[in-house]
Amino acid sequence: MSIIKIQHVSKRYRSVQALNDFSLEIPRGTTYGLIGPNGAGKTTLMRILAALIIPNSGQVWFENHEVSRTPTVIQRKVGYMPDFFGVYPDLTCAEYLEFYAGIHSIARHKRIGIINDLLELVDLSTKRDDLVEALSRGMKQRLCLARALVHDPEVLILDEPASGLDPRARVELRELVHTLQCIGKTIIISSHILFELAEMCTHVAILQDGQLIVAGDVETVIHQVQGKRQLEIHLLEQERLDDAIAMLKNIPTISSVTVDGKTGILADFTGDEQALHRVLADLISHGIPIVSFAPRTAGGRLEEVFMSITEGSNQQ
Amino acid sequence: MTFFVLLTKEMRLRMRQERIVWVMIVYVLLLGSLGWLYLSRSTSNSSSVGYDWNATGTTLYQLLTLVQMVLIIFISPSFTSGAINTEKELRTYDMLLCSQISAFSLVAGKLIAGLSNVLLLIAAAIPLFSLVFFFGSFTPLRILQDLVVFAITAAMVASFGLLCSTLFAKRSTSTAIAYVVVLLWLIAPFLYLNLVPVPIVRDQVNQQYNLNLLVWNPLVILSLNGGVLPYVSATYVFAGMHISSWLAYILLSLGATLLFFLLSLCFVKPHALIRIRASFIAYRKNRKRG
Repeated sequence: MSIIKIQHVSKRYRSVQALNDFSLEIPRGTTYGLIGPNGAGKTTLMRILAALIIPNSGQVWFENHEVSRTPTVIQRKVGYMPDFFGVYPDLTCAEYLEFYAGIHSIARHKRIGIINDLLELVDLSTKRDDLVEALSRGMKQRLCLARALVHDPEVLILDEPASGLDPRARVELRELVHTLQCIGKTIIISSHILFELAEMCTHVAILQDGQLIVAGDVETVIHQVQGKRQLEIHLLEQERLDDAIAMLKNIPTISSVTVDGKTGILADFTGDEQALHRVLADLISHGIPIVSFAPRTAGGRLEEVFMSITEGSNQQ
Repeated sequence: MTFFVLLTKEMRLRMRQERIVWVMIVYVLLLGSLGWLYLSRSTSNSSSVGYDWNATGTTLYQLLTLVQMVLIIFISPSFTSGAINTEKELRTYDMLLCSQISAFSLVAGKLIAGLSNVLLLIAAAIPLFSLVFFFGSFTPLRILQDLVVFAITAAMVASFGLLCSTLFAKRSTSTAIAYVVVLLWLIAPFLYLNLVPVPIVRDQVNQQYNLNLLVWNPLVILSLNGGVLPYVSATYVFAGMHISSWLAYILLSLGATLLFFLLSLCFVKPHALIRIRASFIAYRKNRKRG
């Protein structure tokens, strides 16, 4: 069952179309990764989901509540962590969390317990009485995550949580997100580090120029682009390279051909196994001296899937 | 209530900065040295026998009140004109919007936190003002009236500074605009009276005309209270009612403070109209259920 439904949402900032007729459903309990290049509309989408901005058209439903009309419901049920720290440097970690617990209307007697639990969750119990400005970048990021969790939200929106973190802090953050997954939180996360998203997310949505390119669970998305494969062909002699390229360009199942080194050719292939056999048979029948002929999947990894899909959109 | 939570946070942050301590030290030193300079100068050439201590005390008090008023007017905006846009600069504003803090709590918390700093300065200067009791001719009521003028003026200027901080994204812009407007408000009536020829200023007929121009100026009100401007009537006539200029100033300033506060409430959070409509719909739904 979907906890969030985004229906035909568009958002324009003056001359920039940040989101364009964007629709997506986010199932409850999933970890949904938003992938896209800079300016794709990820942050705009997250800010709309957090009721911070209102779309020009379309609707976003959180359960039965329309987000822009019921921001108070969203404030109770959604925890938002933006792609910047946003801390008060002169407060201690405990005071910082106490402030946010207070403005989320959590009763005073419950606050201390919640703060202790959160500091333990993000492994900052020993820094409880340290000033926020004395924390490292990774610690500040974990404190911000604790802040987003202070009112025990059902949905957690994390915008580039790993940006600027060192490898150790990234691993710690990933483990923390995994813990939150186990608790049953619905997490919406964006990141440029796609292999990390692939490890953390159950679902992904790829955005480009404010539009949804593809969305679904990770396996489905990868499968959707697996039809496109790359052929890696190596010849014995450099002299026959031009003949081979000219021949490959005439085959309808091959979309693009590039030279790879002195005797190598890379070709994008979109056909089935029989078509692949015909390509090999044609090359041999024309006397092309082939050393190796290796078809490989283009989308075995999320990173390659992303590159492959967004490249296709650019060409359109 | 979220208001107290915000107020606690603001007080913690403000009191942990060295700035407030230095502002207090400089403020009291400035007033104190000004009083000492005046006293030492006025008594240096006089013998103690037959000297009019009463007049010296009156002039000293008037000098201190006017200087304190100018200081309050120029210090108050600095405590509030960056209150909201500093949150934007610290990038904590979005987090406030994501919380359940109301616009009222946000504006009231910021205003009272800023105002408390100004009230602290006024309180710190009270011992200096109490010295004039030694010279006689002052009643506690008179000092109390002037303290009310200080407090109300501080509230009005601080609330205007806060309004500027909700309207402008940059702290430097809002502070500059707040100072320019406050300066204009302070000197505009005097400029007008000097630039536009007013016939027979000291004439009884023109007294009300002068007061209408000057009644909303704190320096004039303090001077009227002290009898420095005897040619300006101390009674303000509004819609046939005769009220003292002091009360007229207090009422006008309270009205302006309320207006600035309400405007700040409108602008402190984005999408004001949509929020008002949502509140109205929620109210109607609740009424139907009720």
